[in-house]
Amino acid sequence: METLRLLASQGADAGWLTESFSYAFMVNALVAALLLGPLLGGLGTLVIAKRLAFFSEAVGHAALTGIAIGVLLGEPPENPIIGLFCFCMIFALLLHFVRNRTAVPYDTLVGVFLAVALAGGAALLMYVARKINIHMLENVLFGSILTITDFDLLVLAISCSLIVVGLMFTFNRILLASISPDIARVRGYNTHFYDYLFVIMITLVTIAAVKIVGAVLVGALLLIPGATARLMTKSMGSFVLLSSLLATLSCLIGTLLPMELKLPIPSGASIILVAATFFLTTTIYRIVGRNR
Amino acid sequence: MGPSILLNNVSLKYENNIVLQDVSLTLDAGKCHVFMGPNGGGKTSLLRSMLGLTPFKGEINIHWPNRKGKIGYVPQKAIFEPSLPLTVLDFILLNQSRSPLFFNLNKKHKEKALHHLDRVGMADRALLRMGQLSGGEQQRVLFSQALLDEPELLILDEPTNGMDDQGVRYFEALITALVKEEKTIVVVHHDITAVRRLEAEVHVVNGLLLESGHASEVLKAHKIEQLFSHYRRSSVANSAINNSEVA
Repeated sequence: METLRLLASQGADAGWLTESFSYAFMVNALVAALLLGPLLGGLGTLVIAKRLAFFSEAVGHAALTGIAIGVLLGEPPENPIIGLFCFCMIFALLLHFVRNRTAVPYDTLVGVFLAVALAGGAALLMYVARKINIHMLENVLFGSILTITDFDLLVLAISCSLIVVGLMFTFNRILLASISPDIARVRGYNTHFYDYLFVIMITLVTIAAVKIVGAVLVGALLLIPGATARLMTKSMGSFVLLSSLLATLSCLIGTLLPMELKLPIPSGASIILVAATFFLTTTIYRIVGRNR
Repeated sequence: MGPSILLNNVSLKYENNIVLQDVSLTLDAGKCHVFMGPNGGGKTSLLRSMLGLTPFKGEINIHWPNRKGKIGYVPQKAIFEPSLPLTVLDFILLNQSRSPLFFNLNKKHKEKALHHLDRVGMADRALLRMGQLSGGEQQRVLFSQALLDEPELLILDEPTNGMDDQGVRYFEALITALVKEEKTIVVVHHDITAVRRLEAEVHVVNGLLLESGHASEVLKAHKIEQLFSHYRRSSVANSAINNSEVA
Protein backbone atom coordinates (compact mmCIF):
# COMPACT_ATOMS: atom_id res chain seq x y z
CA MET A 1 0.00 0.00 0.00
CA GLU A 2 2.88 2.31 0.85
CA THR A 3 4.27 1.97 -2.71
CA LEU A 4 0.87 2.70 -4.19
CA ARG A 5 0.46 5.78 -2.05
CA LEU A 6 3.97 6.95 -3.02
CA LEU A 7 3.23 6.46 -6.72
CA ALA A 8 -0.05 8.38 -6.39
CA SER A 9 1.72 11.18 -4.57
CA GLN A 10 4.43 11.36 -7.26
CA GLY A 11 1.72 11.34 -9.94
CA ALA A 12 0.00 14.26 -8.21
CA ASP A 13 3.31 16.13 -7.86
CA ALA A 14 4.08 15.59 -11.56
CA GLY A 15 0.61 16.87 -12.49
CA TRP A 16 -0.63 13.57 -13.97
CA LEU A 17 -3.15 13.14 -11.18
CA THR A 18 -5.18 15.69 -9.27
CA GLU A 19 -4.11 17.03 -5.90
CA SER A 20 -6.49 14.66 -4.10
CA PHE A 21 -4.21 11.72 -4.92
CA SER A 22 -1.43 13.17 -2.80
CA TYR A 23 -3.48 12.33 0.32
CA ALA A 24 -2.89 8.85 1.73
CA PHE A 25 -6.50 8.50 2.94
CA MET A 26 -7.72 9.18 -0.60
CA VAL A 27 -5.64 6.34 -2.04
CA ASN A 28 -6.89 4.06 0.73
CA ALA A 29 -10.48 5.03 -0.06
CA LEU A 30 -10.04 4.39 -3.78
CA VAL A 31 -8.52 0.97 -3.15
CA ALA A 32 -11.45 0.18 -0.85
CA ALA A 33 -13.85 1.35 -3.57
CA LEU A 34 -12.15 -0.87 -6.14
CA LEU A 35 -12.42 -3.87 -3.83
CA LEU A 36 -16.01 -3.26 -2.78
CA GLY A 37 -17.59 -2.10 -6.02
CA PRO A 38 -17.47 -5.32 -8.05
CA LEU A 39 -18.57 -7.36 -5.06
CA LEU A 40 -21.54 -5.18 -4.13
CA GLY A 41 -22.62 -5.04 -7.78
CA GLY A 42 -22.33 -8.80 -8.27
CA LEU A 43 -24.10 -9.71 -5.03
CA GLY A 44 -26.74 -7.09 -5.80
CA THR A 45 -27.94 -9.09 -8.81
CA LEU A 46 -28.66 -12.03 -6.52
CA VAL A 47 -30.38 -9.71 -4.04
CA ILE A 48 -32.68 -8.63 -6.88
CA ALA A 49 -33.22 -12.15 -8.22
CA LYS A 50 -34.03 -13.42 -4.73
CA ARG A 51 -36.22 -10.36 -3.99
CA LEU A 52 -34.21 -9.64 -0.86
CA ALA A 53 -33.84 -5.87 -1.32
CA PHE A 54 -35.71 -5.14 1.89
CA PHE A 55 -33.63 -7.73 3.72
CA SER A 56 -30.30 -6.15 2.76
CA GLU A 57 -31.67 -2.75 3.84
CA ALA A 58 -32.71 -4.27 7.18
CA VAL A 59 -29.23 -5.73 7.78
CA GLY A 60 -27.72 -2.31 7.07
CA HIS A 61 -30.09 -0.59 9.47
CA ALA A 62 -29.50 -3.22 12.14
CA ALA A 63 -25.92 -1.99 12.13
CA LEU A 64 -27.09 0.97 14.20
CA THR A 65 -27.86 -1.33 17.13
CA GLY A 66 -24.67 -3.35 16.54
CA ILE A 67 -22.60 -0.18 16.69
CA ALA A 68 -24.33 1.00 19.87
CA ILE A 69 -23.77 -2.38 21.54
CA GLY A 70 -20.12 -2.39 20.46
CA VAL A 71 -19.50 1.10 21.87
CA LEU A 72 -21.31 0.27 25.14
CA LEU A 73 -19.14 -2.83 25.53
CA GLY A 74 -16.01 -0.71 25.26
CA GLU A 75 -15.06 -0.86 21.59
CA PRO A 76 -13.56 2.28 19.98
CA PRO A 77 -16.47 4.42 18.66
CA GLU A 78 -14.78 4.95 15.27
CA ASN A 79 -14.57 1.21 14.62
CA PRO A 80 -16.91 -0.98 16.75
CA ILE A 81 -16.36 -3.94 14.43
CA ILE A 82 -17.05 -6.81 16.86
CA GLY A 83 -20.40 -5.45 18.05
CA LEU A 84 -21.34 -4.66 14.48
CA PHE A 85 -20.31 -8.08 13.15
CA CYS A 86 -21.95 -10.10 15.93
CA PHE A 87 -25.24 -8.20 15.99
CA CYS A 88 -25.68 -8.03 12.20
CA MET A 89 -24.86 -11.73 11.81
CA ILE A 90 -27.25 -12.79 14.61
CA PHE A 91 -29.94 -10.45 13.23
CA ALA A 92 -29.65 -11.81 9.67
CA LEU A 93 -29.44 -15.50 10.65
CA LEU A 94 -32.29 -15.22 13.15
CA LEU A 95 -34.48 -13.46 10.61
CA HIS A 96 -33.82 -16.17 8.05
CA PHE A 97 -34.34 -18.92 10.63
CA VAL A 98 -37.74 -17.52 11.64
CA ARG A 99 -38.68 -17.02 7.98
CA ASN A 100 -38.37 -20.77 7.34
CA ARG A 101 -40.58 -21.59 10.32
CA THR A 102 -43.49 -19.19 10.10
CA ALA A 103 -46.37 -18.45 7.77
CA VAL A 104 -45.89 -14.68 8.20
CA PRO A 105 -45.09 -13.08 4.80
CA TYR A 106 -41.38 -12.34 4.44
CA ASP A 107 -41.71 -8.58 3.89
CA THR A 108 -43.85 -8.30 7.04
CA LEU A 109 -41.30 -10.29 9.01
CA VAL A 110 -38.40 -8.13 7.77
CA GLY A 111 -40.45 -5.04 8.70
CA VAL A 112 -40.95 -6.32 12.25
CA PHE A 113 -37.26 -7.23 12.68
CA LEU A 114 -36.16 -3.91 11.21
CA ALA A 115 -38.43 -1.95 13.53
CA VAL A 116 -37.20 -3.87 16.59
CA ALA A 117 -33.54 -3.40 15.63
CA LEU A 118 -33.99 0.32 14.98
CA ALA A 119 -35.95 0.85 18.18
CA GLY A 120 -33.29 -1.05 20.13
CA GLY A 121 -30.56 1.00 18.48
CA ALA A 122 -32.33 4.30 19.19
CA ALA A 123 -32.78 3.33 22.83
CA LEU A 124 -29.14 2.29 23.24
CA LEU A 125 -27.86 5.45 21.56
CA MET A 126 -29.13 7.45 24.54
CA TYR A 127 -26.64 5.56 26.70
CA VAL A 128 -23.92 5.75 24.04
CA ALA A 129 -24.33 9.55 23.92
CA ARG A 130 -23.20 9.70 27.56
CA LYS A 131 -19.90 7.99 26.69
CA ILE A 132 -18.90 9.58 23.35
CA ASN A 133 -19.65 12.45 21.03
CA ILE A 134 -22.67 11.09 19.14
CA HIS A 135 -21.51 12.78 15.92
CA MET A 136 -18.65 10.31 15.73
CA LEU A 137 -21.22 7.67 14.85
CA GLU A 138 -22.09 9.53 11.67
CA ASN A 139 -18.85 8.21 10.15
CA VAL A 140 -19.98 4.65 10.69
CA LEU A 141 -23.56 5.23 9.65
CA PHE A 142 -22.90 7.24 6.47
CA GLY A 143 -19.28 6.42 5.65
CA SER A 144 -16.10 8.43 5.89
CA ILE A 145 -13.05 7.93 3.72
CA LEU A 146 -10.89 9.65 6.33
CA THR A 147 -11.17 6.68 8.68
CA ILE A 148 -9.95 3.88 6.34
CA THR A 149 -6.72 2.35 7.61
CA ASP A 150 -4.35 -0.27 6.17
CA PHE A 151 -5.84 -2.78 8.60
CA ASP A 152 -9.34 -1.99 7.27
CA LEU A 153 -8.09 -2.59 3.74
CA LEU A 154 -6.64 -5.93 4.79
CA VAL A 155 -9.95 -6.97 6.39
CA LEU A 156 -11.76 -5.77 3.29
CA ALA A 157 -9.44 -7.65 0.92
CA ILE A 158 -9.81 -10.88 2.91
CA SER A 159 -13.62 -10.55 3.12
CA CYS A 160 -13.93 -9.73 -0.58
CA SER A 161 -11.64 -12.61 -1.63
CA LEU A 162 -13.62 -15.08 0.48
CA ILE A 163 -16.93 -13.91 -0.96
CA VAL A 164 -15.68 -13.84 -4.56
CA VAL A 165 -14.24 -17.36 -4.30
CA GLY A 166 -17.48 -18.52 -2.66
CA LEU A 167 -19.56 -16.91 -5.39
CA MET A 168 -17.52 -18.50 -8.18
CA PHE A 169 -18.51 -21.94 -6.90
CA THR A 170 -22.02 -21.25 -5.69
CA PHE A 171 -23.51 -18.47 -7.84
CA ASN A 172 -25.48 -20.84 -10.09
CA ARG A 173 -26.78 -22.89 -7.20
CA ILE A 174 -27.79 -19.87 -5.12
CA LEU A 175 -29.67 -18.53 -8.14
CA LEU A 176 -31.35 -21.85 -8.95
CA ALA A 177 -32.30 -22.34 -5.28
CA SER A 178 -34.12 -19.00 -5.40
CA ILE A 179 -35.73 -19.32 -8.86
CA SER A 180 -36.83 -22.92 -8.55
CA PRO A 181 -36.10 -24.43 -5.12
CA ASP A 182 -37.89 -27.70 -5.93
CA ILE A 183 -35.74 -28.37 -9.00
CA ALA A 184 -32.64 -27.47 -6.97
CA ARG A 185 -33.64 -29.92 -4.23
CA VAL A 186 -34.33 -32.73 -6.71
CA ARG A 187 -30.86 -32.09 -8.14
CA GLY A 188 -29.53 -32.77 -4.65
CA TYR A 189 -28.63 -29.21 -3.70
CA ASN A 190 -29.14 -28.24 -0.08
CA THR A 191 -31.24 -25.14 -0.68
CA HIS A 192 -31.23 -24.14 3.00
CA PHE A 193 -27.42 -24.19 2.98
CA TYR A 194 -27.26 -21.93 -0.07
CA ASP A 195 -29.85 -19.57 1.42
CA TYR A 196 -27.89 -19.22 4.65
CA LEU A 197 -24.61 -18.89 2.75
CA PHE A 198 -26.08 -15.98 0.81
CA VAL A 199 -27.35 -14.33 4.00
CA ILE A 200 -23.85 -14.64 5.50
CA MET A 201 -22.30 -13.12 2.34
CA ILE A 202 -24.69 -10.15 2.46
CA THR A 203 -23.96 -9.59 6.13
CA LEU A 204 -20.18 -9.81 5.60
CA VAL A 205 -20.21 -7.35 2.72
CA THR A 206 -22.41 -4.98 4.73
CA ILE A 207 -19.88 -4.96 7.55
CA ALA A 208 -16.95 -4.66 5.12
CA ALA A 209 -18.59 -1.65 3.45
CA VAL A 210 -19.33 0.25 6.66
CA LYS A 211 -16.24 2.48 6.53
CA ILE A 212 -16.68 3.70 2.99
CA VAL A 213 -20.42 3.53 2.24
CA GLY A 214 -21.78 3.58 5.76
CA ALA A 215 -23.96 0.96 7.41
CA VAL A 216 -27.24 2.68 6.60
CA LEU A 217 -26.52 3.19 2.91
CA VAL A 218 -24.83 -0.09 2.00
CA GLY A 219 -28.17 -1.74 1.24
CA ALA A 220 -28.79 0.89 -1.40
CA LEU A 221 -25.50 0.16 -3.12
CA LEU A 222 -26.41 -3.51 -3.23
CA LEU A 223 -29.63 -2.57 -4.95
CA ILE A 224 -29.25 0.45 -7.23
CA PRO A 225 -26.46 -0.73 -9.61
CA GLY A 226 -28.31 -4.05 -10.03
CA ALA A 227 -31.59 -2.25 -10.69
CA THR A 228 -29.84 -0.09 -13.32
CA ALA A 229 -28.15 -3.08 -14.98
CA ARG A 230 -31.44 -4.95 -15.10
CA LEU A 231 -32.86 -2.22 -17.31
CA MET A 232 -29.98 -2.49 -19.77
CA THR A 233 -29.07 -6.16 -20.07
CA LYS A 234 -30.50 -9.19 -21.80
CA SER A 235 -28.74 -12.07 -20.08
CA MET A 236 -27.72 -13.02 -16.57
CA GLY A 237 -23.98 -12.88 -17.34
CA SER A 238 -24.10 -9.33 -18.67
CA PHE A 239 -26.46 -8.37 -15.82
CA VAL A 240 -23.84 -9.34 -13.22
CA LEU A 241 -20.92 -7.80 -15.10
CA LEU A 242 -22.68 -4.49 -15.79
CA SER A 243 -23.97 -4.27 -12.23
CA SER A 244 -20.41 -4.79 -10.94
CA LEU A 245 -19.07 -2.14 -13.30
CA LEU A 246 -21.72 0.39 -12.29
CA ALA A 247 -21.18 -0.25 -8.58
CA THR A 248 -17.41 0.15 -9.01
CA LEU A 249 -17.84 3.39 -10.98
CA SER A 250 -20.27 4.69 -8.36
CA CYS A 251 -17.79 3.92 -5.59
CA LEU A 252 -14.87 5.54 -7.43
CA ILE A 253 -16.70 8.64 -8.65
CA GLY A 254 -18.59 9.01 -5.37
CA THR A 255 -15.31 8.90 -3.44
CA LEU A 256 -13.43 11.30 -5.75
CA LEU A 257 -16.11 13.84 -6.51
CA PRO A 258 -16.60 15.47 -3.08
CA MET A 259 -12.82 15.80 -2.74
CA GLU A 260 -12.38 17.31 -6.19
CA LEU A 261 -15.33 19.66 -5.80
CA LYS A 262 -14.54 20.32 -2.14
CA LEU A 263 -18.06 19.37 -1.07
CA PRO A 264 -18.69 18.51 2.60
CA ILE A 265 -20.62 15.30 1.79
CA PRO A 266 -20.07 11.91 3.46
CA SER A 267 -18.64 9.35 1.01
CA GLY A 268 -21.62 7.02 1.45
CA ALA A 269 -24.13 9.66 0.46
CA SER A 270 -22.01 10.73 -2.49
CA ILE A 271 -21.61 7.15 -3.75
CA ILE A 272 -25.35 6.50 -3.52
CA LEU A 273 -26.15 9.77 -5.30
CA VAL A 274 -23.83 8.79 -8.19
CA ALA A 275 -25.42 5.32 -8.38
CA ALA A 276 -28.88 6.91 -8.32
CA THR A 277 -27.86 9.25 -11.16
CA PHE A 278 -26.97 6.20 -13.30
CA PHE A 279 -30.33 4.68 -12.42
CA LEU A 280 -32.35 7.80 -13.19
CA THR A 281 -30.53 8.38 -16.48
CA THR A 282 -31.14 4.81 -17.57
CA THR A 283 -34.77 4.90 -16.52
CA ILE A 284 -35.41 8.15 -18.40
CA TYR A 285 -33.57 6.76 -21.45
CA ARG A 286 -35.75 3.62 -21.37
CA ILE A 287 -38.97 5.61 -20.95
CA VAL A 288 -38.09 8.04 -23.74
CA GLY A 289 -36.94 5.15 -25.97
CA ARG A 290 -40.22 3.30 -25.41
CA ASN A 291 -42.32 6.35 -26.24
CA ARG A 292 -40.51 7.04 -29.51
CA MET B 1 -33.14 -49.24 -17.06
CA GLY B 2 -35.25 -47.06 -14.77
CA PRO B 3 -36.15 -47.95 -11.18
CA SER B 4 -39.34 -49.43 -9.77
CA ILE B 5 -41.11 -47.50 -7.02
CA LEU B 6 -42.90 -49.08 -4.07
CA LEU B 7 -45.46 -47.08 -2.14
CA ASN B 8 -46.59 -48.63 1.11
CA ASN B 9 -49.45 -47.05 3.10
CA VAL B 10 -48.52 -43.54 2.07
CA SER B 11 -50.60 -40.95 3.92
CA LEU B 12 -50.29 -37.20 3.92
CA LYS B 13 -52.15 -34.36 5.53
CA TYR B 14 -51.79 -30.61 5.74
CA GLU B 15 -52.98 -29.57 9.21
CA ASN B 16 -56.50 -31.11 9.36
CA ASN B 17 -56.86 -31.67 5.64
CA ILE B 18 -56.20 -35.29 4.73
CA VAL B 19 -54.71 -35.29 1.24
CA LEU B 20 -53.75 -38.94 0.87
CA GLN B 21 -54.67 -41.98 2.90
CA ASP B 22 -52.98 -45.37 2.82
CA VAL B 23 -51.92 -45.40 -0.78
CA SER B 24 -50.11 -48.63 -1.58
CA LEU B 25 -48.89 -49.26 -5.08
CA THR B 26 -46.01 -50.60 -7.12
CA LEU B 27 -44.82 -48.65 -10.13
CA ASP B 28 -43.01 -51.09 -12.40
CA ALA B 29 -39.62 -50.20 -13.81
CA GLY B 30 -39.24 -49.03 -17.38
CA LYS B 31 -42.88 -48.01 -17.88
CA CYS B 32 -44.88 -44.84 -18.11
CA HIS B 33 -47.19 -44.35 -15.12
CA VAL B 34 -49.87 -41.68 -15.26
CA PHE B 35 -51.58 -40.35 -12.13
CA MET B 36 -55.01 -38.98 -12.83
CA GLY B 37 -57.92 -37.75 -10.75
CA PRO B 38 -59.87 -34.64 -9.85
CA ASN B 39 -58.24 -31.40 -8.66
CA GLY B 40 -57.14 -31.58 -5.04
CA GLY B 41 -57.08 -35.37 -5.17
CA GLY B 42 -53.46 -35.58 -4.00
CA LYS B 43 -51.64 -36.38 -7.26
CA THR B 44 -49.07 -33.58 -7.00
CA SER B 45 -48.56 -34.29 -3.28
CA LEU B 46 -47.87 -37.93 -4.11
CA LEU B 47 -45.28 -36.96 -6.72
CA ARG B 48 -43.64 -34.50 -4.33
CA SER B 49 -43.54 -37.22 -1.67
CA MET B 50 -41.73 -39.55 -4.09
CA LEU B 51 -39.16 -36.79 -4.63
CA GLY B 52 -38.75 -36.15 -0.91
CA LEU B 53 -40.13 -32.62 -1.23
CA THR B 54 -43.15 -33.19 1.02
CA PRO B 55 -43.15 -35.09 4.33
CA PHE B 56 -45.48 -38.09 4.46
CA LYS B 57 -46.33 -41.13 6.55
CA GLY B 58 -45.66 -44.63 5.27
CA GLU B 59 -42.91 -45.81 2.97
CA ILE B 60 -41.74 -44.91 -0.50
CA ASN B 61 -38.85 -46.97 -1.81
CA ILE B 62 -37.18 -46.36 -5.13
CA HIS B 63 -35.41 -49.55 -6.26
CA TRP B 64 -32.65 -48.77 -8.71
CA PRO B 65 -31.50 -51.75 -10.80
CA ASN B 66 -27.81 -50.92 -10.29
CA ARG B 67 -26.43 -47.84 -8.59
CA LYS B 68 -28.63 -44.86 -7.75
CA GLY B 69 -29.46 -43.05 -10.94
CA LYS B 70 -30.48 -39.54 -11.91
CA ILE B 71 -33.96 -38.10 -11.50
CA GLY B 72 -35.47 -35.53 -13.85
CA TYR B 73 -38.31 -33.37 -12.56
CA VAL B 74 -40.74 -30.97 -14.18
CA PRO B 75 -42.72 -29.03 -11.56
CA GLN B 76 -46.37 -28.16 -12.06
CA LYS B 77 -45.55 -24.51 -12.41
CA ALA B 78 -42.48 -22.34 -12.24
CA ILE B 79 -42.76 -18.58 -11.93
CA PHE B 80 -40.19 -16.52 -13.78
CA GLU B 81 -40.14 -12.78 -13.24
CA PRO B 82 -40.46 -11.13 -16.68
CA SER B 83 -38.00 -8.34 -15.89
CA LEU B 84 -35.20 -10.61 -14.67
CA PRO B 85 -32.70 -11.00 -17.54
CA LEU B 86 -32.57 -14.77 -17.18
CA THR B 87 -32.55 -16.21 -20.70
CA VAL B 88 -33.65 -19.70 -21.68
CA LEU B 89 -29.97 -20.57 -22.28
CA ASP B 90 -29.06 -19.14 -18.84
CA PHE B 91 -31.68 -21.32 -17.19
CA ILE B 92 -30.36 -24.48 -18.83
CA LEU B 93 -26.74 -23.56 -18.05
CA LEU B 94 -27.75 -22.89 -14.46
CA ASN B 95 -28.97 -26.47 -14.18
CA GLN B 96 -26.18 -27.97 -16.20
CA SER B 97 -22.97 -26.39 -15.03
CA ARG B 98 -21.29 -25.00 -11.96
CA SER B 99 -19.36 -22.37 -13.94
CA PRO B 100 -20.97 -19.09 -12.87
CA LEU B 101 -23.16 -17.53 -15.56
CA PHE B 102 -21.04 -14.37 -15.51
CA PHE B 103 -17.86 -16.33 -16.15
CA ASN B 104 -18.97 -19.17 -18.38
CA LEU B 105 -16.48 -19.20 -21.23
CA ASN B 106 -16.88 -22.90 -21.98
CA LYS B 107 -18.26 -23.31 -25.52
CA LYS B 108 -19.05 -26.98 -24.92
CA HIS B 109 -21.44 -26.07 -22.12
CA LYS B 110 -23.36 -23.76 -24.43
CA GLU B 111 -23.40 -26.31 -27.25
CA LYS B 112 -24.71 -28.99 -24.91
CA ALA B 113 -27.40 -26.64 -23.57
CA LEU B 114 -28.49 -25.73 -27.10
CA HIS B 115 -28.61 -29.40 -28.07
CA HIS B 116 -30.97 -30.10 -25.17
CA LEU B 117 -33.13 -27.12 -26.06
CA ASP B 118 -33.27 -28.38 -29.63
CA ARG B 119 -34.74 -31.66 -28.38
CA VAL B 120 -37.81 -29.77 -27.21
CA GLY B 121 -37.89 -27.35 -30.14
CA MET B 122 -36.70 -24.34 -28.12
CA ALA B 123 -33.17 -23.77 -29.49
CA ASP B 124 -34.31 -20.79 -31.57
CA ARG B 125 -35.73 -19.17 -28.41
CA ALA B 126 -32.51 -19.61 -26.39
CA LEU B 127 -31.82 -15.89 -26.02
CA LEU B 128 -35.32 -14.87 -24.91
CA ARG B 129 -36.00 -14.19 -21.27
CA MET B 130 -37.74 -17.01 -19.40
CA GLY B 131 -40.38 -14.55 -18.21
CA GLN B 132 -41.22 -13.62 -21.81
CA LEU B 133 -42.17 -17.16 -22.81
CA SER B 134 -45.72 -18.47 -22.89
CA GLY B 135 -46.72 -21.09 -20.31
CA GLY B 136 -46.38 -23.88 -22.88
CA GLU B 137 -42.91 -22.72 -23.94
CA GLN B 138 -41.79 -22.54 -20.30
CA GLN B 139 -42.99 -26.12 -19.83
CA ARG B 140 -40.88 -27.18 -22.82
CA VAL B 141 -37.80 -25.54 -21.29
CA LEU B 142 -38.53 -27.18 -17.94
CA PHE B 143 -38.84 -30.51 -19.75
CA SER B 144 -35.50 -29.89 -21.45
CA GLN B 145 -34.00 -29.16 -18.02
CA ALA B 146 -35.36 -32.46 -16.72
CA LEU B 147 -33.66 -34.38 -19.56
CA LEU B 148 -30.24 -32.75 -19.03
CA ASP B 149 -28.58 -35.56 -17.08
CA GLU B 150 -30.15 -38.38 -19.16
CA PRO B 151 -32.19 -39.41 -16.09
CA GLU B 152 -33.41 -42.97 -15.55
CA LEU B 153 -36.46 -41.72 -13.65
CA LEU B 154 -38.58 -38.82 -14.88
CA ILE B 155 -41.23 -37.25 -12.67
CA LEU B 156 -43.45 -34.81 -14.52
CA ASP B 157 -46.22 -32.79 -12.93
CA GLU B 158 -48.69 -31.75 -15.63
CA PRO B 159 -45.92 -31.22 -18.19
CA THR B 160 -48.29 -30.31 -21.03
CA ASN B 161 -49.98 -27.48 -19.11
CA GLY B 162 -50.49 -24.59 -21.50
CA MET B 163 -48.87 -26.42 -24.43
CA ASP B 164 -50.38 -26.15 -27.89
CA ASP B 165 -51.42 -29.24 -29.82
CA GLN B 166 -48.09 -29.48 -31.60
CA GLY B 167 -46.26 -29.28 -28.27
CA VAL B 168 -48.41 -32.01 -26.76
CA ARG B 169 -47.74 -34.36 -29.72
CA TYR B 170 -44.03 -33.57 -29.47
CA PHE B 171 -44.10 -34.38 -25.76
CA GLU B 172 -45.93 -37.66 -26.38
CA ALA B 173 -43.36 -38.71 -29.00
CA LEU B 174 -40.55 -37.97 -26.50
CA ILE B 175 -42.26 -39.98 -23.75
CA THR B 176 -42.74 -42.92 -26.11
CA ALA B 177 -39.06 -42.76 -27.10
CA LEU B 178 -37.97 -42.60 -23.44
CA VAL B 179 -40.14 -45.59 -22.50
CA LYS B 180 -38.49 -47.54 -25.33
CA GLU B 181 -35.16 -46.76 -23.62
CA GLU B 182 -36.71 -48.41 -20.51
CA LYS B 183 -36.75 -45.25 -18.41
CA THR B 184 -39.38 -45.06 -15.67
CA ILE B 185 -41.71 -42.15 -16.17
CA VAL B 186 -44.24 -40.89 -13.63
CA VAL B 187 -46.64 -38.22 -14.91
CA VAL B 188 -49.59 -36.29 -13.57
CA HIS B 189 -51.94 -35.67 -16.48
CA HIS B 190 -55.49 -34.42 -16.93
CA ASP B 191 -56.16 -35.10 -20.60
CA ILE B 192 -57.86 -38.48 -20.89
CA THR B 193 -57.52 -38.61 -24.70
CA ALA B 194 -53.80 -37.85 -24.53
CA VAL B 195 -53.26 -40.49 -21.82
CA ARG B 196 -55.04 -43.10 -23.95
CA ARG B 197 -52.53 -42.35 -26.72
CA LEU B 198 -49.60 -42.84 -24.30
CA GLU B 199 -50.39 -46.54 -23.71
CA ALA B 200 -49.47 -46.04 -20.06
CA GLU B 201 -50.34 -47.54 -16.71
CA VAL B 202 -52.99 -45.32 -15.18
CA HIS B 203 -53.52 -44.78 -11.44
CA VAL B 204 -56.57 -42.77 -10.41
CA VAL B 205 -56.10 -40.97 -7.09
CA ASN B 206 -58.63 -39.00 -5.08
CA GLY B 207 -57.36 -39.11 -1.53
CA LEU B 208 -57.29 -42.87 -1.95
CA LEU B 209 -56.03 -45.00 -4.79
CA LEU B 210 -59.29 -45.61 -6.67
CA GLU B 211 -58.18 -47.61 -9.67
CA SER B 212 -54.95 -48.86 -11.15
CA GLY B 213 -54.20 -50.63 -14.41
CA HIS B 214 -53.51 -50.22 -18.09
CA ALA B 215 -55.07 -47.15 -19.71
CA SER B 216 -57.32 -49.31 -21.87
CA GLU B 217 -58.80 -50.91 -18.73
CA VAL B 218 -59.05 -47.90 -16.42
CA LEU B 219 -60.19 -45.25 -18.88
CA LYS B 220 -63.35 -46.99 -20.03
CA ALA B 221 -66.20 -44.64 -20.80
CA HIS B 222 -68.58 -45.98 -18.13
CA LYS B 223 -65.96 -45.60 -15.34
CA ILE B 224 -64.74 -42.13 -16.08
CA GLU B 225 -67.52 -40.05 -14.52
CA GLN B 226 -67.39 -42.03 -11.29
CA LEU B 227 -63.59 -42.02 -11.02
CA PHE B 228 -63.12 -38.33 -11.70
CA SER B 229 -65.87 -37.05 -9.41
CA HIS B 230 -64.73 -34.04 -7.38
CA TYR B 231 -66.33 -35.45 -4.24
CA ARG B 232 -63.97 -37.28 -1.97
CA ARG B 233 -64.47 -40.94 -1.35
CA SER B 234 -66.48 -41.30 1.85
CA SER B 235 -63.71 -42.78 4.05
CA VAL B 236 -61.36 -39.84 3.40
CA ALA B 237 -64.17 -37.35 3.86
CA ASN B 238 -65.24 -38.99 7.13
CA SER B 239 -61.67 -38.99 8.46
CA ALA B 240 -61.33 -35.33 7.61
CA ILE B 241 -64.56 -34.51 9.47
CA ASN B 242 -63.54 -36.61 12.50
CA ASN B 243 -60.14 -34.96 12.62
CA SER B 244 -61.58 -31.47 12.51
CA GLU B 245 -64.01 -32.38 15.30
CA VAL B 246 -61.16 -33.70 17.46
CA ALA B 247 -59.13 -30.57 16.71
